[in-house]
Amino acid sequence: MKNFQQHLKELEATDTQVLGVSMDSPFANKAFADQIGVTFPLLSDWGGKTTREYGIYKDEYQAARRVNFLITKDGKIAEVQVDKDAIDPTKIVDTCQRPKLNN
Amino acid sequence: MQKRQSRLLAAALLLTSTLSVSSSGFAQAKTEGSMPKVGDMAPDFTLKYFDGTNRKDVKLSDYRGKKNVVLAFFVFAFTGG
Repeated sequence: MKNFQQHLKELEATDTQVLGVSMDSPFANKAFADQIGVTFPLLSDWGGKTTREYGIYKDEYQAARRVNFLITKDGKIAEVQVDKDAIDPTKIVDTCQRPKLNN
Repeated sequence: MQKRQSRLLAAALLLTSTLSVSSSGFAQAKTEGSMPKVGDMAPDFTLKYFDGTNRKDVKLSDYRGKKNVVLAFFVFAFTGG
């Protein structure tokens, strides 16, 4: 999440809202956000309904996998990054900065 | 008469088994959905976060037409990545 925080200004400049999501409680996520200096919302998917709807619930962890989805203004998915590929946000920043995304 | 009854019974059995198969298939699709692909509509949701004072709702479709959204799923709070 820290990596997205480091690129937050660039993303906000392209009309992009960053939302973290996990199956932790809202309070745990707020404490986590404060600890690592994250200013965007970390949402609580308590019970995992949304995590399952996105097909990324992992039995082994009893939690979500590390996955990023970039969703454009029309509600469609423009990019998916899974596990190790989800750590580095630069590809998403690049995509957001492409002019066609903001038509 | 008996023949008609047995046909009805067979039809009823067939219907019941079809229904149970399709409903269990539906339940599975709902709980273990596959990951949406590029070009698919993102499933809508309303989730809560705590801003330090209040619990607030975030609804994905509220951003429709206004902002792109990066949804960054992470495994647990207080872990890396």
